[in-house]
Amino acid sequence: MDRRPAYATAGPRRRCSLKLPEALKAKWFWYSILCVLCWGAWVLGSKLGSNEIPAASMQFIFAFGFIPVALLVLVLKPVRFEKSAKGIAYSLGNGILAGIGGLTLFAAYRSGGNTSVITAATALYPLITVVLPVLILRERLNWLQVVGLGFAVAAIIIFSL
Amino acid sequence: MHVPPWFWFGLVTLVSWGIVGLLQKLSTNYLSAEWALVWLAVGFFILEPWLYPGRVLFSYSAHALGWALLSGFFNALGAWALLAALKSGGKASIVAPFTALYPLVVVFLAPLVLHESITILQGVGIVCALIAVVLLSTETAPS
Repeated sequence: MDRRPAYATAGPRRRCSLKLPEALKAKWFWYSILCVLCWGAWVLGSKLGSNEIPAASMQFIFAFGFIPVALLVLVLKPVRFEKSAKGIAYSLGNGILAGIGGLTLFAAYRSGGNTSVITAATALYPLITVVLPVLILRERLNWLQVVGLGFAVAAIIIFSL
Repeated sequence: MHVPPWFWFGLVTLVSWGIVGLLQKLSTNYLSAEWALVWLAVGFFILEPWLYPGRVLFSYSAHALGWALLSGFFNALGAWALLAALKSGGKASIVAPFTALYPLVVVFLAPLVLHESITILQGVGIVCALIAVVLLSTETAPS
């Protein structure tokens, strides 16, 4: 089974190079930079908001921030309505679980822990995404992921001290 | 051993989002990434009745509400940018580990914006976490 991240299945796949000068000319590189900067801004906004209002209220308001982007996505590339019941159920489940994760993230920020540490610890979620298919579907890990697991365990132990 | 209070909250986030990563893959087997993102946003709103804080919502300061709203906006915009990177020719095995480095932005900006600093041990943990997240985001060998 293909284990690439979700959005990897979305579009045409063309080869891209790691050579920096070429990468600097590529659209995907700048979109990736935008993604990293946006998620950095998301964390800082989350921390600043969580300092002032409770986690449940943060998550309540946070959800409204998604509306303009969801509308933008549909306006930029109008796609026909897709009514796969399974697909919709999985996506709704995603939203609920992502919301629960967001709620506890805001609670973690509000508890006064160090923002960089909490962000690095929760960014380890691919650990679960990678390990679950191994346990449930008996998929295999590549050797880089096995080394990654070791680093993740080390990080979690250090953060728990 | 004293486990910091944020740790258990963080653990729930890690597990929830880990399962989301798996479900995202399953959802995009049936839906385009655009619709998967839209339905995910709808999923957020299923939780709203339980999260609604009541009239106290209107007593929060404008800038606190602004931070919460901006937080959601930037999170969604980041997800869209990731989608756009993959659709404009970015290879998942490069884009996914690259974008997983967003905690670095926080590590560099937190001292300036939040006036926070980290200990050497926390720094070692962050480096381990960043290496782990990049390695875990690499493609799995076909089974």
